[in-house]
Amino acid sequence: MYAATMPPPDSTTATAKPSATIIALQGHAAGEAAQARPEPRPSAPFADRVARWLSLHGLSLLLWSISLGALFAVWYFGTKYRVDFFIRFTNIPTPTEVFAKILEVNKSAKYMVNIGISVRRILSGFCIAIIVAVPMGLLIGRYRAARDLLLPACEVLRPIPAIAWVPMSIMLWPSNEISIVFITFLGSFFPILLNTVHGVTALDPVLLRAGRCLGANEARMFWHVILPGALPHIFTGLAVGMGVAWVSLIAAEMISGQFGVGYFTWEAYSLISYAEIALGMITIGVLGLACSGLIRMLGRLAMPWEVFTNRGNR
Amino acid sequence: MSPIADAKGLIEIGDLGVTFGANGTAVEAITSVSLTVKPGEFVSLIGPSGCGKSTLLNIVAGFVKPTRGTVKVDGLPVSGPSANRGVVFQQYSLFPWLKVRENVEFGLRMQGMPSGQRETMARTLLGLAGLLAFENHYPDQLSGGMKQRVGIVRALATSPQVLLMDEPFGALDAQTRVVMQEILTNMWQQFRLSVLFITHDIEESIFLSDRVFVMTARPGRIKAEIAVPLPRPRTPEMTSSTEFIAMVQQLKSLIREESLAAMGSELKEGGLSGFSMSVGPSGVAQVI
Repeated sequence: MYAATMPPPDSTTATAKPSATIIALQGHAAGEAAQARPEPRPSAPFADRVARWLSLHGLSLLLWSISLGALFAVWYFGTKYRVDFFIRFTNIPTPTEVFAKILEVNKSAKYMVNIGISVRRILSGFCIAIIVAVPMGLLIGRYRAARDLLLPACEVLRPIPAIAWVPMSIMLWPSNEISIVFITFLGSFFPILLNTVHGVTALDPVLLRAGRCLGANEARMFWHVILPGALPHIFTGLAVGMGVAWVSLIAAEMISGQFGVGYFTWEAYSLISYAEIALGMITIGVLGLACSGLIRMLGRLAMPWEVFTNRGNR
Repeated sequence: MSPIADAKGLIEIGDLGVTFGANGTAVEAITSVSLTVKPGEFVSLIGPSGCGKSTLLNIVAGFVKPTRGTVKVDGLPVSGPSANRGVVFQQYSLFPWLKVRENVEFGLRMQGMPSGQRETMARTLLGLAGLLAFENHYPDQLSGGMKQRVGIVRALATSPQVLLMDEPFGALDAQTRVVMQEILTNMWQQFRLSVLFITHDIEESIFLSDRVFVMTARPGRIKAEIAVPLPRPRTPEMTSSTEFIAMVQQLKSLIREESLAAMGSELKEGGLSGFSMSVGPSGVAQVI
């Protein structure tokens, strides 16, 4: 396609001419195609599009349905027949019970308030993690001195799971709320930091040289070359970080919390409200899915060029 | 923007030497290289692989500091990379996150030119290179030859005094290469700036250059200087003239000596001395 529209090599001035020819050719070809088609029905384009989409994605669609259907079937039949064969479904709520619970909890504001509080904690912890980890990662990736100064402390703290921080965090911070946000922050901080560092060090050195010889000073190198160059890795860090943030948040809410989806689920366990346990789990799953979907969407908006770079795995 | 009338870009390289590594394992890459590129002149550097020709270019670009000697461009000593010296790299070096026109505008943006002016200038330049239709494409949507053309346009956008090119067409197929050579000579003639061009392709160096410098095997020195008397503009037909073929032969034998010297020392270390004598001319040309 590109070869067809590429102007001839000797034309440095007559570039407009060949493209005009090509447009004319394309117009001609389109005219021919229109003539060749006997009688286009009005619904044909839509039906065509659906058919093409199905032929492209039909198999994927089938496999997705099998995947989700199997999951639901295990739950449905397991609870329907009260399966008790090493795994015990005897106390597990049925899908209908859980569905009834959804309707019930939505009558009061309590359930939605819990969701709102959890989302607020996630977003605060996660945003603080981005603000701290991304600049720090850029510096560590770029300067040896920053690496030697900051990385040893990070490497010592990194193996400690965020959940293990819960008791210390409660002592450390003035309020319960802040300590939960801190746990969430910790969970997402390290994945974002390490991926940012990796993004900088994996940057093709020729791009750095190109930036320098086009007159970019150090500050502009950071903003115009290093940050955009590391962006794909940063977004990988954000996706991983978001997952760990949810793990940390739910654990923190279960242990120290008042309010929140984790607290809702743990409270249901204490009150032996089986349907609410399942509802809590499903809520956490849906929220986690929504958050990672949001990150993926932001990534696509922030990096429109990536579509062309990663064509390989489509 | 109209092409600049006066030629610019005097490069003076005086007694240059580079040694890499510490005392014990020091490797002398270049030694006592002196050459001058006149304003508006097209000069090629050719030599066996590993002779330090890329190192020489990196010093002029300001990426590498020389151990000895001086480099001046238009009388000013080189102290680091600058937009006054445009560089076209062997690898594709376009910023993948910027569209073609934004890539061309990059240097101008760093100079603080307002966006409207930047856009006009970039579009003019892209038009000259026949790339205007692709101004809103991302680099990963372009073919290799087009990427390198954008690379050349980007390097020229800041109106540098010299253009430094490090085997820019090395990764392209033979047909694209020939086309690119013509595009480059066209653009060079309009801009009247001096070009220092690194290559290992003998025909390419003659076709493009006013003068060709041949470098020795490591440590790199200037072995010979050959003036190319072919008239401008150069056309592909010239490559079959007797004059052109004679120059190719002359350069081939000069470089062959160096390749054999470079290979000979390697082969002797491997206990295979004498093997180099059985290599025919075509074999040597491939080695180069």
